[in-house]
Amino acid sequence: MATRKTTTGTPRGASSGTTGSARTADVRDAVIVGGNRIPFSRAGKRYADASNQEMFTAALEGLVARFGLQGERLGEVVGGAVLKHSRDFNLVREAVLGSSLSAQTPAFDLQQACATGLEATINVANKIRLGQIDSGVAGGTDTISDAPVAVSEGLRRALLAASHATTLQGRLKALARLRPVDLKPLTPATDEPRTGLSMGEHQAITTARWGITRDAQDEVALASHQNLARAWDSGFFDDLVTPFRGLTRDDNLRPDTSLEKLASLKPVFGKSLASSEATAGPTMTAGNSTPLTDGASTVLLASTEWAEAHDLPVLARFVDAETAAVDFVHGHEGLLMAPVHAVPRLLARNGMTLADFDFLEIHEAFASTVLTTLAAWEDADYCKNELGLPGAFGSVDRARVNVNGSSLAAGHPFAATGGRIVATAAKLVAQRAAETGETARALVSVCAAGGLGATAIIESV
Amino acid sequence: MTATGPTTSAGDPLGVETLPSLPGLGGLYARGAASSGRIAAGRALPNLPVIGQAREPDDGPPVLPGVAYRVTGVETGGLATHLRDYQRLLHEPVSDVMPAGYLHVLAFPLATAVMVRGDFPLPLLGMVHLANEVEHRGPVRVGDRLDVRAWAENLRPHRRGVQVDLVAEVWPDGGADRPVWRGISTYLARGFDLGDGAAGAAGADDRPERSERSERAPAGTWTPPLPTGRWALGPGTGRAYGAVSGDRNPIHMSALAAKAFGFPRAIAHGMYVAARALADVGTARGDAYRWTVEFGGPVLLPGTVDVAVTPVAEPGTPAAGFRYVGWNARHGRLHFEGGVVPLGP
Repeated sequence: MATRKTTTGTPRGASSGTTGSARTADVRDAVIVGGNRIPFSRAGKRYADASNQEMFTAALEGLVARFGLQGERLGEVVGGAVLKHSRDFNLVREAVLGSSLSAQTPAFDLQQACATGLEATINVANKIRLGQIDSGVAGGTDTISDAPVAVSEGLRRALLAASHATTLQGRLKALARLRPVDLKPLTPATDEPRTGLSMGEHQAITTARWGITRDAQDEVALASHQNLARAWDSGFFDDLVTPFRGLTRDDNLRPDTSLEKLASLKPVFGKSLASSEATAGPTMTAGNSTPLTDGASTVLLASTEWAEAHDLPVLARFVDAETAAVDFVHGHEGLLMAPVHAVPRLLARNGMTLADFDFLEIHEAFASTVLTTLAAWEDADYCKNELGLPGAFGSVDRARVNVNGSSLAAGHPFAATGGRIVATAAKLVAQRAAETGETARALVSVCAAGGLGATAIIESV
Repeated sequence: MTATGPTTSAGDPLGVETLPSLPGLGGLYARGAASSGRIAAGRALPNLPVIGQAREPDDGPPVLPGVAYRVTGVETGGLATHLRDYQRLLHEPVSDVMPAGYLHVLAFPLATAVMVRGDFPLPLLGMVHLANEVEHRGPVRVGDRLDVRAWAENLRPHRRGVQVDLVAEVWPDGGADRPVWRGISTYLARGFDLGDGAAGAAGADDRPERSERSERAPAGTWTPPLPTGRWALGPGTGRAYGAVSGDRNPIHMSALAAKAFGFPRAIAHGMYVAARALADVGTARGDAYRWTVEFGGPVLLPGTVDVAVTPVAEPGTPAAGFRYVGWNARHGRLHFEGGVVPLGP
């Protein structure tokens, strides 16, 4: 397929003249047609026995139904799960085969921890922009309730040695090395392999370094619940969510929570930092941290021509994306600070500043993730020394951040969060543009384990 | 004794006894237990006749054997699997290059052999590992032929007894200007004295100042830094390192055995935690580095150790290396601290 010139749109902040390679290359637009997810559910509750494949298939099938894609051969379906059993090696392809899409729709799995869903979107959008495909679905799914359980390293090695042995005697010898402790199953942990600290403990350190207060975190959590509740009540999610297993709303949502209730919760992370340097005591609670959650999400992307040919609406354009990683292993940078590094690079390439965005979607891994991100961009020394900027990157009007709630209220099924945010952001900019008649823009920021982060620009068409 | 043979750090020549092969640590502990009992019995009952070569209780001040053990032509070609097990246990990347901690495992049995000699004046069992200092001058690979030497030196007073350095060296077989690896392990024998009234004198010892402080400082007087990692050490940590290192000192093997030596539970090997910290530094340490550790309070097993492994922040000196510290976050007590500093050519 021949590539085509970008045909529409001039970014608002691009008047300086340097619009960057992202918009000058011979690529076409990738647009977001819509999204569909299942309601997210706290681990061990409504989806306790639902598998990753079942949840992803449900989200995908809802998307197919919403946009009339039965029997359609899409360019690609891309998604993944963070906690995935090895038998699910072709998780997304199996979900496609179990859906009403044409069996000729290719698919592949990818995984980038909590950035999986956004990275899948970036992949599909890039293929569309390069003309390699005309349509595609990006998404992700995760279950804590139905998580794979692994055998211990000792049992695994013994079983492998036994299977490699060619004689009965050899097999018995391999198994004789087993110790009772080897029989203890291993459940997935969110500990960083290189540090042994859980994500919450890592973020507690970052929170302490930036001096983020308990009150400020609880306010972010309260806003998340209030905003998500208002969005549900106003029907915002009516065309973004399909009920699953009798659940019609995210069941982590607490519309009636309050600062008093949040203030009554005991800290769960950073408790042992109390005596450390630079910390006034633990501040992170179950209320201002995301709960473990089950769920799945999908987003339909296409070329403008494909959407028109299929008589489908277009919410937004997926403009550009940037990933980053930080050196967290020896404490140089916080584990979840990679998006802080990615966004200035992304905006510089696109000739934009923070002021060019109507909406900021900052994944609420923890309330303090949002706050440390914003604080870092306002800190001139940090921006100079760590980001190589001439000064502070900028301030953000807090009224533009996570306006319809985020992971604190909705929950965070790791790989499904990217799809939730992309669909929400696309619909937000579409609504805003329809109201104002002007281009509306959203910045998406998702932090991830391993010191990773993915960010993207979404713009109304 | 030869002119080119080993000398102590002070330059005193040592007699050399060449052994046919490196001894295994397991058997040495059995011998060490026997001689430790002999020495302890000698101290407790000065008039009891002592069998064997152990020094008589009224021999005068303790004197180190003026001898170095040496093993030449040590083959390492068969160590690939053992090295892999060590590397996996210590969280080192698996490769055929031996980390400094592995060379300690390889060489230290020879130093232990010095300590279980009949004329070694201190008991192997019950000695406290105070500090360790290693100069690792370049890569040693599986398949290299090595020349290993070990001796004891620098017997000196300590506030709570006497301390001694066990020196081990690894040379390329066939000679070189200097050892490729040199380790100094400092041990304390509690309750012993040098007979000159020096023991117990404040400031009599230089190096273990920090360890003393951390061991004795009341909780809360030391402020830990923000951690960069947390080690959850299971009850079998000592047994696992004992299996791979051969150091099956009973205090590491089980709570019951550790109780006999005054510990409430089994304790982690000092060289295990120091080697974990070394592994945490990763490739930034380079091929040649100085690796030091001073031990504070023991790590009881099972247990959780918070660690901070951080680059020494000196702008413009990228080779300044790393400092590391490990502590118990619940009690705010220091377990160990040290450094890994790249060495020039």
